[in-house]
Amino acid sequence: MNLAFEEVRHGVGRFAATTAGIGLLFTVVLAMAGIYNGLVDDATILLRSLHADVWVVQQGTRGPFADTSRLDVSVESRVAAVAGVRRARGLSYQVLQREAGRGNLRFALVGLPWPECRDDAPPLVAGRGLEQAHGELVADASLGLSVGAKVSLAREEFTVVGLTRQLLASSGDAVVLATLADAQLVLADLPADAVRTERERRAERLRATDLGRGQPSLEGLLADPEWRPPALATPPIVAVLVEADDPARIGEIRAALAAWPDVSVFAAAEEERLLLDGVVEKPRRQLALFAAILLVTSSVLIGAIVYARTLDKTHTIAVLKLMGAPRRRIAGMVLQQSWAMGALGYAIAVAVGAQAFPHFPRRVVLDLVTIGAVGAIVLAVSTAASLLGVRYALRVDPGQALEG
Amino acid sequence: MEALRAEHLSKHYGAGATLVRALTDVSLRLESGAVCALLGPSGSGKSTLVKALGLVSLPDAGRIWMGGRLVVDGDAALGSLDVLRRRHLGFVFQKANLIPFLSARKNVELACEIGGVEPPRRRTDELLAYLELAHRADAMPTELSGGEQQRVAVARALANRPAILLADEPTAALDRERGRAVMELFARVAHEQGTAVLVVTHDHRTLDLFDLSYEMEDGRLKA
Ligand SMILES: Nc1ncnc2c1ncn2[C@@H]1O[C@H](COP(=O)(O)OP(=O)(O)OP(=O)(O)O)[C@@H](O)[C@H]1O
Ligand SMILES: [Mg+2]
Repeated sequence: MNLAFEEVRHGVGRFAATTAGIGLLFTVVLAMAGIYNGLVDDATILLRSLHADVWVVQQGTRGPFADTSRLDVSVESRVAAVAGVRRARGLSYQVLQREAGRGNLRFALVGLPWPECRDDAPPLVAGRGLEQAHGELVADASLGLSVGAKVSLAREEFTVVGLTRQLLASSGDAVVLATLADAQLVLADLPADAVRTERERRAERLRATDLGRGQPSLEGLLADPEWRPPALATPPIVAVLVEADDPARIGEIRAALAAWPDVSVFAAAEEERLLLDGVVEKPRRQLALFAAILLVTSSVLIGAIVYARTLDKTHTIAVLKLMGAPRRRIAGMVLQQSWAMGALGYAIAVAVGAQAFPHFPRRVVLDLVTIGAVGAIVLAVSTAASLLGVRYALRVDPGQALEG
Repeated sequence: MEALRAEHLSKHYGAGATLVRALTDVSLRLESGAVCALLGPSGSGKSTLVKALGLVSLPDAGRIWMGGRLVVDGDAALGSLDVLRRRHLGFVFQKANLIPFLSARKNVELACEIGGVEPPRRRTDELLAYLELAHRADAMPTELSGGEQQRVAVARALANRPAILLADEPTAALDRERGRAVMELFARVAHEQGTAVLVVTHDHRTLDLFDLSYEMEDGRLKA
């Protein structure tokens, strides 16, 4: 006969009522864990969708998303020549703010290698991936663009062909994907102010020369509205994504690249961790702190309830001891109630969470591993919570049963 | 047959000015199959003696044998108190002290389980039938009358087939009629089951039911 079960069953209403509050505390703990998962997911979804084995970035930086990195385009072909490299692709990344249609669009423009990006697009919620080398964009739904929308960038018209959800850069800006060539084109397009400034600087330089002074009409060339300052060089890329022939050769490739003076090299997992360290570390600590406070609170609460229930049972415990019940059985009765409270509370938390979390403003991601891990913590918390009650129960004097 | 023997038990509470000599050189024997009354004025040490014999709070000095084995020597128990109580003793209290969240049947069954009686169910049915409680088996303690509760308590005390049954004022909470019925029950248990029964009581009107009576005064026992 399980005494904890019998007692709970006898007063199941009261037990459930006291446990409901604890369940809500656990719901919030679960939400914290889910929000953290969501943060990690959001932060890494872009990185993961790129499927690189090795990241080559500017020497001394931590990669394009965690840091600012600039690489000369030539790095791409140099890396491609390294033994063991199946594919090396340049990546561009820049946060832009452009006027488009009704208002300002602020986004992170990621230039993907063409044609590989046809095959590995991030998960889409609408439309399709990039299928042409030019003129197409995949935008995050949070920008408010719909499939088929036209966006004018660098005096070219682009069509939104697909939408992602929650594809955000570490800066929190929505990501827009384009082919690398298109992205370079947009990056090379200087805003009107920059063109005007450059025009004036050139006119001044012209006036300072003999040629300019001798032939003032040359300035008229600069006044041509179609004139643009020539790009001095192809805009840089931020990283080169390397895929190895064979995963076993990743180490070899890294060793070869490590000798280069102008790049730093990271494995995919390292790059992901660098990104997370930078972006998620602070919120993670904050969430962990909140969760810890809540867990301590629930532990104290369960402890207080279990202790009170044990006090109420003093006489029963004395009788059990007088009947010769072993200490294990008496401690078990208290401990199991604490577990039951934790388990029921957690079940409530999972059930409430399943209903409530989809309506949270932040994305809450719960997988079985998280539910299991939080469950294990709840088990530990309820075990710790029972200690005072167990101690009290073991100290009850059986003689109390003989007195009134 | 001798079920219990105690020799030269002494016990005091407190120290100095508040020193109380609750037991002074008490010796007694309980025979199997005999029911024995323990009388005496309030504060004379009856409960203290029951606690000592019941291995609940050990004496300061003296010896106790149960079933021919020495179990207490001075202030030390020879073995685990849990185990000794489980093996030799049953208790009935002033109030029935049933476990409030268990039905009558489960109260008895739990005692059978703790007492290591196999199978607990059968023994429970047997005891409930013996104490004429079968029809109330599924009632919760609060649904039972005082006399019924006390009968369940006796059933519970008998679960482990104890050689010794100790009862401290088991009828104090009952009216005269029901009190007498419970006392008759103790006599019946002693005579039919061969249990040695010691009952603390104030009620001289039921003395006719006892085979033997001891009287206490100021911590001393008079036969
Ligand atoms: N825990 C204790 N601490 C101190 N003194 C105690 C304690 N228990 C009992 N005493 C004292 O020991 C003496 C004997 O007490 P005991 O309870 O054995 O008497 P009793 O014969 O059972 O009385 P009653 O008929 O009132 O139940 C009394 O003087 C009592 O005050
Ligand atoms: Mg007493």
